[in-house]
Order: sequence, then C-alpha cells, then structure tokens
Amino acid sequence: MIIKLKKQTIEILKLLKKKRSNVIATKAAEEMGIDYIVLMSAVNDLIEHNLGGFKEEDIYQISLNNEGRAYLKNELPERKLINIMIKDEIKEITLDDLLKRSNLDRNIFYVGISNLKKNRWISQSKASGENKIFIVAEEFPPTELEKFLKKFAENLTIDFSKFSKDDLKLVDVLNKRKLIEKNRKTQRILYLTEKGKKISISEINELTQVSKITSEMLSSGSWKNFDLKPFDVTKPGPLLKAGKIHPLINLINEIREIFLSMGFTEIRGPIIESAFYNFDALFQPQDHPAREMQDTFYLNNPKTAKLPEKDRVSAVQETHENGGVSGSTGWEHKWDINTAKKTVLRTHTTATTMRRLAQFYRNNDKVPVKVFCVDRVFRNEKVDKSHLAEFTQIEGIVIDDNVTLCDLIGLLSEFYRKMGFKKIITRPGFFPYTEPSMEVSVYYDKLDEWLEMGGSGIFRPEVTYPWEIKEPTRVLAWGQGLERIAMLYYGRKDIRDFYINPINWLRQQSYLK
Amino acid sequence: MPTIELKVERLERLVGKKLDLKELEYDLQWISLDLEDINEEEQKVKVEYNPNRPDFSSPEGIARALKGYYEIEEGLPSFDVISGDIVLNVDPSVKKVRPYIVCGIIRDIDLDEDEVATLMNIQEHLHWAVGRDRRKVAIGVHDLDKVVPPYRYTAVKPDSVSFVPLHGDGYPMNLEEILLLHEKGIEYAHILEGKEVYPIIFDSNNEVLSFPPVINGVLTTVTDETKNLFLDLTGTDFKAINLALNILSTTLADMGAKLETVKVNYEGESEIITPNLEPKKWEVNVDYINSVIGLNLSTSEMIKCFKKVRMDAEKSKKKGHLDVVVPAYRGDLMHPIDFTEECAIGYGYFNLPLTIHVGGIGQYHPIQDYSNRIRKIMIGAGYLEVINFILASSEKQFNYMKQESEIREIVDIANPVSKEYNTTRTRILPKLMDTLLLNRSEEKPIRIFEVGDVILLSKKEETGTKREVHLSAVSYHEDADYTEIKSSLDFIMTSLGYFDDYEIKPGKNPSYIDGRYGEIYLKDLIIGEIGELHPEILLNFKLEFPVSAFELNIEQFFNYL
Repeated sequence: MIIKLKKQTIEILKLLKKKRSNVIATKAAEEMGIDYIVLMSAVNDLIEHNLGGFKEEDIYQISLNNEGRAYLKNELPERKLINIMIKDEIKEITLDDLLKRSNLDRNIFYVGISNLKKNRWISQSKASGENKIFIVAEEFPPTELEKFLKKFAENLTIDFSKFSKDDLKLVDVLNKRKLIEKNRKTQRILYLTEKGKKISISEINELTQVSKITSEMLSSGSWKNFDLKPFDVTKPGPLLKAGKIHPLINLINEIREIFLSMGFTEIRGPIIESAFYNFDALFQPQDHPAREMQDTFYLNNPKTAKLPEKDRVSAVQETHENGGVSGSTGWEHKWDINTAKKTVLRTHTTATTMRRLAQFYRNNDKVPVKVFCVDRVFRNEKVDKSHLAEFTQIEGIVIDDNVTLCDLIGLLSEFYRKMGFKKIITRPGFFPYTEPSMEVSVYYDKLDEWLEMGGSGIFRPEVTYPWEIKEPTRVLAWGQGLERIAMLYYGRKDIRDFYINPINWLRQQSYLK
Repeated sequence: MPTIELKVERLERLVGKKLDLKELEYDLQWISLDLEDINEEEQKVKVEYNPNRPDFSSPEGIARALKGYYEIEEGLPSFDVISGDIVLNVDPSVKKVRPYIVCGIIRDIDLDEDEVATLMNIQEHLHWAVGRDRRKVAIGVHDLDKVVPPYRYTAVKPDSVSFVPLHGDGYPMNLEEILLLHEKGIEYAHILEGKEVYPIIFDSNNEVLSFPPVINGVLTTVTDETKNLFLDLTGTDFKAINLALNILSTTLADMGAKLETVKVNYEGESEIITPNLEPKKWEVNVDYINSVIGLNLSTSEMIKCFKKVRMDAEKSKKKGHLDVVVPAYRGDLMHPIDFTEECAIGYGYFNLPLTIHVGGIGQYHPIQDYSNRIRKIMIGAGYLEVINFILASSEKQFNYMKQESEIREIVDIANPVSKEYNTTRTRILPKLMDTLLLNRSEEKPIRIFEVGDVILLSKKEETGTKREVHLSAVSYHEDADYTEIKSSLDFIMTSLGYFDDYEIKPGKNPSYIDGRYGEIYLKDLIIGEIGELHPEILLNFKLEFPVSAFELNIEQFFNYL
C-alpha cells in the first residue's frame, strides 16, 4: 500500500533511515535547515502514520564559569605558585612573601596553598616564628584535576550523565571550588518504529502542497491528497475596512448609561434658542459679557423667537428688575423684552433644562424629577486645538424637595465614580444661575493629577421662583464639556479630531479607557 | 476669568503669617480663589478670582479673606472715615448722558512701588468687572491739591470746552477732538455715541479734572509728590459706582491712607455723602441655611462661619434668625440664598459630608434611542460612523451640491467665526462629502455614515426652526454605484421592519445623476433621497471616484411608527 506524506515528513524519514540510529531533534532540525516547530509538526505526522516518534531524555550538563575558563586558559593557582617557587629556586618562603610575588587575590592565593598541601607538594610551619612553607616533593606531575579540566578545551559544555565515578569526584571538586555551573535539560530523541524501519521510500508518495481548499476538493474528498501550505500566522492582517461606532458617540452612550443607571431621564431641546431661555430665565443680567456677540452666536434669520406665556415672561422680568417673588433684590435694571426675543445658537444645554423647569410648572409635575442632557452647544470661539465653536455638553438636574448641597456632592461622587474617577473634590465656585456653586475636580490616577471637570450648584431662587418652583423644592444641577474627557479617554491632543473624522484613526481607535 | 499677580512677601505682610506656596495653593481654593501659576524664583503667584468678587482684585482684598480663613482676624473689617467738607455739585444736565457720580478723598498717601502698581491694576479690573469697560463705571484718580473745590459735574456741548488731556500731545483739545484724535478718545467714543452733550468735571476755577468716561486732565496727574487724592466715579448704575468706590477706597485704607467723605450734591434733588462704607444688614433664617447646605449647625456655630468670611453676625430679634452684616465692598449678596454659600465657605467645603439622594426611574429620549438602533444596523452593514458639526458653510451645503435654489431662506448666523460656519446644516450629505474630501487618500473602499441633527426653518415653531435627526451614508470607491447603496438601504429598511412599506420613486435632483436618483417614500410620506452623485459635485469636493449615497429623515419615519 502506498502511503501519502507531506514533503517534510518524507525528509525526516529519509534522515532517520540514513542515520540508522536515534537522532536528537534539535540536531535533526539543524541538519535539515528547517525550523524546530516545522520539524516537530513533521514528526507528529510520522507518529500519526505509526512510522516513528520521539522520547524525552534528561541530560545533565556542566560548563565552566568565568573563573574556571580563566584557569583553563592559564593555570590553576596552585600550579602558578609552585611554578614561581621552581623558577626562583626557592625551597622555603614566608606566606606573605609568596603572596606578594604571586600577585594573586588573597582568597585565591590561600586556595592555591591549600591545594599544594593536598597534593603533598609543600608543608607549612611556624617553627621559626614566621609562617613559612617548604617544598617537600621532588616532582610536580599534572594532577587529575588538571587533566580533567582539559576536557573543557574542546567543548565548554559537557554532558556528564555518562561519567565514571572518579570523574564525578572531580566534578565535585570543581563544584566545591565554584568553577562550574551544573544544569539539567530535556531533549527529544527521534526514532523509527519497526514499521518505519521496514518501509521503503519507494512506497511513499508526496502530498501536493496547495494554499486554498476549494469546494471541489471538499466534495470529491481529494483534499486528503493535498498538503495545505502553512501560513506565517504571526503576520498582521491587512486593515479591515469595517463599520464602527465613532469614539465620541461611544463615550456619549456610556455617559447616557450612567445617567440612566442613576435614575435620570434624557431630555432634548431646541438648538436654536431664544435669549429668554438661554439667558434671561437663568437670571443672566442683560448687560452680562457672556451675552455679547464675541461670545454668543446670534442669528439674522430667524431673528427673533416667540416668548412663552405672558405671566411667566413678566415673572422673569420682575425678578431681573426687583427680585419679584423670589425674595431677591434683582439686578435693579430695566429689563428689555426685545433683548430676550433674540435668537441664539444655544450656549449651554441649561437652556433645555430651563424649558424642562417651565414644563414642570405647566404640567404641575410631581417631584422628584431627574433629567439629563448630552447635547451640542455653541460658543463664538476661535477654533484651535483646545477650543471648538461647537461642542458637546453633559448636564444633570434633580428637582426635589429639601435636596441639599451635600446631596449634590453625593450625586457628583457617584457620577464621576461611574466614569472611572474614584476621588473627587468640590470647592466653592461661581456661576450666575447657581447658589451655592461648586467646582468639581477629579483625581486621574493615570496622570497622578487633579483635573478640573465642571461646575455644579443649586439653582438660584431667581431662576426657579418665576416658575413657581419654591422652597422646599430645589433644583440641583451639574454640567461640563464632554470633549476634554474624550481627549483623556482616547489620548488625543487635538480637540478638533473628534469632528474632522480622520478615517484612519477612526478605523483603529480602541474604545478602552 | 480675571487674574491678579501677588508677591508672596507682600501677601505675608498683609496677612501677618508666613505662607508656604504649596499650602497657599491648597488654602486659596477654599475661599473660591484659584492659584493659576507659581513663580518660585520671583516668589510670585497668579491668582484667578470669580467675577462676582471684584474685591479680590487687590492683594489687600485677598488678604482680608485669608485672615478670616486662617482665623487671624475674623468678623467685619473696620475702616475709619473722616467726614469732610468738600462739595461736588451735580448739574441735572448729566441725566441725559451719564447720570451718576460719587466721590471720595484719600489723604496722607504714602505708596510704595507695589502699591502704585496695585492702584493702577485695580482700576483696570474694576473698569472691566464692575464697569463693563467703563460704560457702567468709569474711575478718575486726581491730585487733590492741584484743584480748588467746590467741584462741578455737568454736561457740555462737545466743542464748548477745551483742556489738555492726559497722554495727549500737551495741547488743549476740545471734547470732540479728543474723541476723534486722542488714543483713549477713539477707544471709548462709542460710549458717548449719539449724545448731544458730554459729561465733564470742573473745579471752582473752571479747570477740567476729567472728561468721563474717556480721559482725565493733565492738571491733576498723580505724581510721586502727590499727598492727597480725589476720586471720581461716574456711570449709569448708581449701585455699581458705589461698589467700585468702596472697593477702591477700602483698598487704599488698607495701604495706610485716610479716607474722607465728599458731599455730592445732586442739585434740586438730594445730597449724598460718599464713600458710604456703612455695612448692609441682612436677616437670614438659620434653618433655611442649614437645610440648603444639608448641615445642622447651631446658631453659634453659624455665627462663627460668617465671622470667618469677614461678616458680623448675631442673633436677630426674630426667632431662629441671624442678623448678618456685610462689608460695603461686597456687591454680590442679593438674596438670602447667597448667605448659604458664605456659611458653607466659612464652614469649609472640605468639611461637607456627602449624602446619597435616591429615587427616579431613568429613560432614554426615544429619538436618541432610535438613533442608536440605527447606528447598530449601519455598522452591521459595514459603514464607519463619523460626526460633523451642525454649523455649516452655505457654499458647501448648497452651491457645491448644485442646490443654489435653496439658498433663499436659510438660517443665517449674524456673527459667524468664518465662512465655513455661517449657517446650520439642512442636510448631512454635504458634510459626508467634506469628510471624503479630507480622507480621499485613505484606503478605499470608504463607507461612512452619520446620524445627527439638521436644522430646518419652520414658522410655526417657537424658535422659528426645528431640529430633525437625519441618517446619511456614502460609499466611495472605484465601483461605488446605485446598486450597492440601494442594497444598503434595503438592508436598513428590512432591519427596521419597513421593507414592505417603502418604495423608491425615480425623480430628478441636481445633486445626482439623472436616471440614478430616487426619492424614498414610506407609504405616501417622502422620507429621503438616494442616488449616485453628479460628477460636477465629485469634482467640487476634489474626489476621483464615484460616490453613491442616501439621506433619510429619521424623525419622519420615527413619527410614522
């Protein structure tokens, strides 16, 4: 019967037959000029066909360390000492004198002396009051140890598993003198089975190598006659041009999920907004610099917006002018309705929050109302790598009875904890429509830094009272820009990247924090 | 936010305590100041303060708050004011142009170099923070001994008075010439625009002290020799000019000068005496403050908190209330709620416990939820998500897309940052074309989509506009064609469950190739467009391969649900 084997398998079979004995796997790979992994896959093929196999063997090796190698190259310290004495025709000498002449390290010197004594070449005496040595031998033939050391001349590493007892004693000596290192290794030995030994190469056909399986190969069963060419499985694949969520949308969705898990409902409001909801209702004085053209986008078309019910507009007007029912002094300025009618591109999502407060009033809603918004806002800013004229804001709002500044700190801790920041700090801040106000910073462990996040506070009575939201009902709020966090998350240095869509980046950006 | 530079050594002298830079950085935040920058070499720090605290525009003002924080000096700071006899008469004619003025006299000044710098700097800050760049408040500082009281604040015809202005060429100019030719005149002329008469301050010899809010006369220039100052603050807001005067004069008092009042006589109305450093008294409810912060402070603990923020407080006649006395340099307390923050600062924000608020059931906004569902389908179809600004260029939105006829009625931004952003988008497709333009050298095929807002004019809406969510997708490569994009659209409509309800009606649209364009209908509702883009458009966006695309109005068929 004809057996079909891969090319490599046939090669290894030929090699084992030629050697007529077992072969060490690493040596075989070397000889065939192939990778060890490729060789072992061919050996597995041999095993599958019951033609060969491998067994594992431990081998014990010794090798000289640096000191041992130095002695091999030159001589052992005892030989050096005796040679000095012979050369200078010295019969007796003090230890100190010999040490000086030898130029040896003190420790090594004494090792040499002790071995000279062991060889019975010298004796030592303090009889004269000085510590002296005397030569006692006539001849100084090579010692067993010196002969043994020569074995390393050809091969610095020697397999000592088959050493004689005497040799093993010498290994012990070398070991005690700390001149060698011992180690154990496992090696694979390839062998042929009886079937493998008997089979003739002429009975074997080579499988054809192909790179693809075709449907014809599968249906006809001919795939068995083919050897699939191995691939370099470590190589990177070509770039996949697949679909993927934008990193910023991914982050927005994570934040929306956090709000939802904390019991907040998502709200959405107009992008083109009246100055009334964007500024006036938030008790922003009409001469406030933030309302000027250099900060806010105004529109030529549509130029004005309709204002809500007359009585609420008057309530807001009174609050500005004299505090109205809020208990405030107000701004003590005349309030102009036409300024409030102007259309703007909303500068914050708080405009939408304001509409929610108005709705709370109109629907006579029950507390608690917890809402959030993650949406676009606009500022008249020069666009550069850390500023945008259009960006995304995050805002959370709680309307409830008797809610406190300490409750707000609790909400902030929870919110930022869920975003991955374990520590927060809140300090006094200022925002025109909140009092008390707080600035929030979080600890970012990756940079070991405190980062300013955003603002928070309790809506001023001047903001809530015109909508009949009165003590003990209060409104807690916090908010911040999204893109600064996104830059941290995704390690971007330029804030504009999020809106100019470098496709190569989008294709390769990971979502991991 | 405004920042000032402080020399640490000077602050230490004012506070009366050795200050470590690291500790200072930590401590300042608790009185709502932010250390922006530390210059260890020169031992200077840059401090940012909030616009509601213009009294922090000098080292003296900050030192007052720090002394309270460190418990070196608590309660209301006191200032001695000598009552003086100098009079300034206000002519009713100023009502038409700049109705209010208050004045003050500062005697025996002995300022070192740093204090002179502070005096200049604080004026600049007050002009900005309180004065809205001199419109609301303008400050004049004069050498008192160069002019003869009584003074007179009046309004005159622009060409009827001439004087030698400060920083001029040394020649007399009339008021009209100053506005036309003088550096400061040009800068502040807009404040007096359209006025028939201009404000002016004379001494009893008709010498000009000041032409507010523009420039002082050279006569009263403050020099090294100046011993006594005359301050004039004019403006449109009586409260604001008083606040600025109080901040300025208390700062000078902290520098060791003596304050003296001026009788400001509004002719035919009343006489007021300024600076008026009489502190304001507020009655605040202890329970209310505790309840807003979430604390349970006793009356005496709360009194201690107020004293730390440099106010005085004592039990009021009204049960459960405190009388809190606020220094005259504070202009930011307009409601009892403002005292909760003061109390919390006195208590220390770092001491506030956190409490857990629970309750509420969360829900996504339906259109956002639906948008996310569509995103998932689109990435399943192999499209990469991109996002673009809603701000748009009318040229790219319409001209580039051969939709010139649509330009007549668009959202028109009055003060755009650039031509690139002079309107808001009505379609997403031109934005995706822009994205292709920016990425045209990347590996093809490029298949991208965006789900986002467009803004449409709508008369019946409150804001004259409505926002709608659109989905647009484009495919860009050598073989992009109608068939490919149509199968993508079919996949989406199938996945959303509308395959049977939707159809394409062939049509004409200048953005697309004739015969390869259709309108997308859901029953009889038109919800979008699909086709192969016209070669001229490809060239407008500098593309070298065909683009097939569609755009759907998600809002429309979301409503159809």
